[in-house]
Amino acid sequence: MIRFLGSRLLRAAITIVMVVTFAFVVLRLSGDPAQIIMGADAPPEAVEAFRAAWGLDQPVWVQYFNYFGAILQGDLGRSMRDGRDAIVLVAERIPATLALTLPALAIKIGLGIPAGITAALHRNSFIDRAVMMLAVAGFTIPSFVLGLLLVLVFAVQLGWLPSGGQDSWRHAILPIITLGVGGAAVLARFTRSAMLEVLGQPYIRTASAKGVPWRSVVWGHALPNAAIPTVTIVGFMVGSLIAGAVVVESVFSWPGVGRLLVVAVGNRDLAVVQCILLLVAMTMVTSNLIVDLLYGVLDPRLRNQPRRAAGTA
Amino acid sequence: MIQRRLLLATPALALPRLAIAQADQRPAITIAVQKISNSNTLEVLREQSNVGERIFFSSIWEGLIGRDWLADLGPVPGLATEWRRISDSVIELKLRPDVRFHNGDTLTAEDVVFSFSRERMFGDTLATAHGRTIAVGEGMPSPRPGKELPPEVPAVARRAWPALERVEAVDAMTVRFHNATPDVTLEGRLSRFGSEIISRRAFEAAPSWLEWARKPVTTGPYRVVEFQADRALLLAAHDDYWGGRPPLRQIRFVEVPEVSSRINGLLAGDYQFACDIPPDQIPGIERNAAFEVQGGTILNHRLICFDKTHPQLRDARVRRAITHAMDRNAIVESLWAGRTEVPKGLQWPYYDQMFHADWSVPAYDPAEARRLLREAGYRGEPIPYRLLNNYYTNQNATAQVLVEMWRSVGLNIQIEMKENWSQILERTPTRAVRDWSNSAPFNDPVSSLVAQHGPNGQQQQVGEYSNDELNRLAVELETGTDRARRRAAFRRMLEIAEREDPAYTVIHQNATFTAKRRDIRWKASPAFAMDFRQGNWGS
Repeated sequence: MIRFLGSRLLRAAITIVMVVTFAFVVLRLSGDPAQIIMGADAPPEAVEAFRAAWGLDQPVWVQYFNYFGAILQGDLGRSMRDGRDAIVLVAERIPATLALTLPALAIKIGLGIPAGITAALHRNSFIDRAVMMLAVAGFTIPSFVLGLLLVLVFAVQLGWLPSGGQDSWRHAILPIITLGVGGAAVLARFTRSAMLEVLGQPYIRTASAKGVPWRSVVWGHALPNAAIPTVTIVGFMVGSLIAGAVVVESVFSWPGVGRLLVVAVGNRDLAVVQCILLLVAMTMVTSNLIVDLLYGVLDPRLRNQPRRAAGTA
Repeated sequence: MIQRRLLLATPALALPRLAIAQADQRPAITIAVQKISNSNTLEVLREQSNVGERIFFSSIWEGLIGRDWLADLGPVPGLATEWRRISDSVIELKLRPDVRFHNGDTLTAEDVVFSFSRERMFGDTLATAHGRTIAVGEGMPSPRPGKELPPEVPAVARRAWPALERVEAVDAMTVRFHNATPDVTLEGRLSRFGSEIISRRAFEAAPSWLEWARKPVTTGPYRVVEFQADRALLLAAHDDYWGGRPPLRQIRFVEVPEVSSRINGLLAGDYQFACDIPPDQIPGIERNAAFEVQGGTILNHRLICFDKTHPQLRDARVRRAITHAMDRNAIVESLWAGRTEVPKGLQWPYYDQMFHADWSVPAYDPAEARRLLREAGYRGEPIPYRLLNNYYTNQNATAQVLVEMWRSVGLNIQIEMKENWSQILERTPTRAVRDWSNSAPFNDPVSSLVAQHGPNGQQQQVGEYSNDELNRLAVELETGTDRARRRAAFRRMLEIAEREDPAYTVIHQNATFTAKRRDIRWKASPAFAMDFRQGNWGS
């Protein structure tokens, strides 16, 4: 187990270093932050002064090693736009994002998994077709289109809910629904597929043939075995809690991490972008690690075969 | 017993608040904008942008000489009631009495002197002779948080006031501005974006420059209550405002990046104003009789800039052909529904006596364009056109239309999409044609043609353009005091930069549109600025 955890943590560390390095190189090669932040009309001497003050006139490799050295000392840098610590800026936005993504995750799981199970248990019936039709619609409609449609209906036409902003809990309803619907559709489809695969297995037939009640067959045999692919998808969803609402936050003017990321990338505010990416990478890696551990819980056969479990992840 | 006391106390506690609310019946409004501030600050010397102009003027910041925001934007008395020339390089101004800052202090000459001090504006930079780029000093303040100025602030300040030596307090209510060189534009510079006055005491009391810049204490009709970068800005009425009690209790700017979200929010009643409305959305909004769209042309022209070092553009005849192949009126009519216009080159009528009413952009003349290309020996070699994705309103559509117009005369101009200004300006062999826009911060061509295309202007600084005669004329325009000679120099500069050796060509005047509820009686300014002072509000 310790060896398993050790190898996972090493992989996680390498992943994070690669993410940070990739982001650094791409951002540096795709534009000079000084010119971008100062704007098109900035006097050249102001751009030069900015560049010198922030060390952007140094060779890229020097900037990279300075940046990495600072990270190792716990310094994630400061925003070039307003001079505050990047981690402070990001931390300010995390509660707003979680206020959308956590309830949305609950909707995804609470709606998507039961819908998928129901569809599988009523295969080829009207219920199955209706659930899958809704799931395909929810899966294929882009979140910005769904968001705007919801605003048109519930804010503009009916006047029941606000169109955007973050002033009260009512402002969160439409963005949460927008985020939740797409994810629920994905989970419904995956859960249905996994359930259908398991329901076709010989041990399900054997259990039924032995006279085990169908409810017990489903809850005791089918669901635990179908849970592995579903848990994998839920793991990805948990991993994207921090920055998984970029589009929805823009449509609903919700001041979360996603909007901060869009603004920071647009301005090449390097420290902020890298801080967000670091957090996202860490969240995703942690989530994957937890999913790997859950495989062992869900399938006792995998407890003593960590390498195989990793392979299936 | 305790409960009874509480019950008795509750109305008493509630009464004062109720009384305040009843006393102030003025409305509070919410304005949806695409962007509140690019720099995450509210300091005029750092936020030199169009979006900044909208929130700053005339709500927060005021200068000694103001601008007539509801008419031609010309100079009007502001925090100074009168001014006179002492010499070609010295101007004296009398301060308006009983002007109160947001912190209750009274404006004095000391605040004016401090507003133009090294500590607040110029840092280590020095007033320089003309024709030289301002050097960045060795002792440039560190970017670490504190009271030091961010490095771009002194650079921007010196660009606005390149030769200002000092400001002198003659007495408590009189100041003199001493320039190193003769300058007929001192009055204009005093009215420009960046020359506003701050409270010295408030600046010194602020814990850091950043905290100051997020909540500046000024004299405007509204004071900053709270600024949440990238989110919202809350302003409240400054009831001691010298220009009369502001008509609104509160103004809230909220950042709504998506245009459809701004429009939906307006229609849903969440916002009273929605800014940055593209022209193609106007008919849809006005179909609802409860709403209207105001606005129009502003002091900003859209240009095409040329890099004359590019192999295909070294010959001025190719650049001239490009200018003659553009049907600007077709663009204005089709993409702007006639809501803007083709200006008379890079100038504005508010230049007044410096304005050349008989000047015009190069005529749309495809035959002339073809002739010039033939003479230049142009054989259809590709000319790159670096383009941002709709940074300007209608930018992509305009570029596509232009490319087809150029193609029809034999020009092979190819769009290259870029992501940011750094990529647009990057000095590589593929830099040839690009978009830009130019403003006129004050009513003289020094603020536009000289500032943007002269020897210290961006186009020459990034190595796109140079012309010896134009550069000599730029110095004459900056330092000359003979009105007739300056006017002639400006005319000649227009001839060079727009006809003979084109540095740029003007496409159309820019415009901005604001949607609002029709029952609100409010008039848009011919600028990004939004005026919510007494006299421009009713409902």
